[in-house]
Amino acid sequence: MSKQIAIYGKGGIGKSSTASNVAAACADEGYRVTIIGCDPKSDSSITLLRGRRIPTIMDLMRQGVDIEEEDIVFDGYKGVKCVEIGGPEPGIGCAGRGIIVAISLLKKTSKAIEDTDLVIYDVPGDIVCGGFVAPVKKGLVSEAYVLTSGEYMPLYAANNICKGLSRLEMPLNGVICNSRGAPNEENIVSEFAKEIGSQLLAFIPKDVLVQTCEREGFSVIEKEPGSAIAAVYRKLARSIMTKSDARVPEPLDDARLRELTKI
Amino acid sequence: MPVKEKEPMIMHPRPSSIVAALYTLRDLDTDVVILHGPPGCCFKHARLLEEDGMRVVTTSLDESGFVFGGHDSLVEVLEKVIRRFNPKRIGIVGTCASMIIGEELHEAVMDVQPDVPVIEVEVHAGYRDNTKGVIIALESALAAGIISEAEFERQKSLLKEATMVEKRHGAASKEYLEPNRGDLKFKVAGRLLELMKQGKRGLNILNAKKETAFMFADINLAVNQIAEKLGSPIINMANLNEDVGLPKNRRNAREIKEELKNRGMDIHHITGGLDEYPVAGNSANQIIGEKYSDYDFAVITGVPHALPMDNINNMELFSITNGPRQVIPLKEMGHRHVMVEIDLHPRTLGINHIVESEFGATLREMAKDV
Repeated sequence: MSKQIAIYGKGGIGKSSTASNVAAACADEGYRVTIIGCDPKSDSSITLLRGRRIPTIMDLMRQGVDIEEEDIVFDGYKGVKCVEIGGPEPGIGCAGRGIIVAISLLKKTSKAIEDTDLVIYDVPGDIVCGGFVAPVKKGLVSEAYVLTSGEYMPLYAANNICKGLSRLEMPLNGVICNSRGAPNEENIVSEFAKEIGSQLLAFIPKDVLVQTCEREGFSVIEKEPGSAIAAVYRKLARSIMTKSDARVPEPLDDARLRELTKI
Repeated sequence: MPVKEKEPMIMHPRPSSIVAALYTLRDLDTDVVILHGPPGCCFKHARLLEEDGMRVVTTSLDESGFVFGGHDSLVEVLEKVIRRFNPKRIGIVGTCASMIIGEELHEAVMDVQPDVPVIEVEVHAGYRDNTKGVIIALESALAAGIISEAEFERQKSLLKEATMVEKRHGAASKEYLEPNRGDLKFKVAGRLLELMKQGKRGLNILNAKKETAFMFADINLAVNQIAEKLGSPIINMANLNEDVGLPKNRRNAREIKEELKNRGMDIHHITGGLDEYPVAGNSANQIIGEKYSDYDFAVITGVPHALPMDNINNMELFSITNGPRQVIPLKEMGHRHVMVEIDLHPRTLGINHIVESEFGATLREMAKDV
């Protein structure tokens, strides 16, 4: 039985970096991993593919080609299966519909989401319409993770996501803090996690190494395996694979959220 | 990654996959269908289908439904439908609007938990071939245990053939097809009567799609009646096998066959069932090749373009369709006389007997003077 997870969080908070490093760390441990980038800008898997951009499902559908598994599923770092859904340029068309269509095609053409130990759906930060929860609604995601920093706005977004998860009755398996260096950050996020009925799974310190590696097209796990930050991702990967304490979150009201983030 | 041969974009309006799904649900004896979408979607066909006894209702999604989602409306309508109509079988059919915003039909069914089968059809009208709507509906019917795997596979292969028929010589054969009313029925009837008076030998072929046979059969009946009167040898073929297809199609085949018999028409060859029009033409072709290839003329009603030209090439062909866009392709195939029964389909809904056709009436009227 594979673990099917989605990582949610405010746009730009570091979901793709976290997803790809977790994927690489799990692959190091010998797990079979699949990562599915659901963002139209299709950059979830780029650091697992040494900076290479792979064709997206939606691009191929648009060209009207017969799509086989090998056209859309690519082997990345240590055999991590990489898939990018893709979608339109910002401001045109309908990215949400793209996710619905691509997910159903993926289900039909590929075993990559079944014959595996871990599937990570890297979903866009803003779940602006029905299409963006297609993986959840189609029953492809069984647990969620929320990524946030200790600042008010990312926490506000995280809390909002919890509202959505609770409406969808999707269990949350943990909160991950991607530090922006805000004061008292670990405590704030830890308290937030506790109050919504979850737990802080990892505190990822701000480290320029992540960006340096990404710029060159690598995860830190691949490029700087001995670094401290790589160790943090490894620990998080292990928690994801072993801990399972998933519960439907109970979002906070805005007053409590403001109170919580007061320094 | 083989690049598919890029099919030409077709500009003329064509049948909709949503409507195709609706008709399929009717053939499955569904009592009520909920269209999950805007109020006007598929209005014309929704109304027509009510003539056949199937209720069609809509969740009436509006601007705020598009923005905030239509789940609650669907739940509400589903509950109302159960209370008001007490249906034995319910269908829920998607529309472009609800599918684009990612509505999950199944969620509403889970919420309401009806104790009768619900066929959920996640369909929109954006498929190149409208047969896709039939396939999706049948897949759901299969999942709901309403049809057998064998029937599903049978239908699927027929639909594939139907799609090919349209691509070869039908509405999907050209980038743009001009609608055309076809030849004047009065003139063509005159020519047909002349041939029959000369004692020419003719084939009288019904190859019609489902209920449209209720009117097309009237033409074959008229031809048979007049040929008898004039002493012209006629061979009758029809796709009226009552032992295949979905419940309604079997029923209709039986009704038409019985009426033809009662009105004095013997069918010499049954070529297939009412849903087998895409392949029944092939059996007709084979029979003609074996026995009748030297006949002088053929009257072909329904879907004449599904009949291969191999063995009828040298005959004078009288073809009757109900599609104004089918006239030009038929002429190009070599059908000399092509006529259109305008608005045929609406008049074949909600009935269980043969209805008069314009060409049949013209033939009968003119035959009085012979």
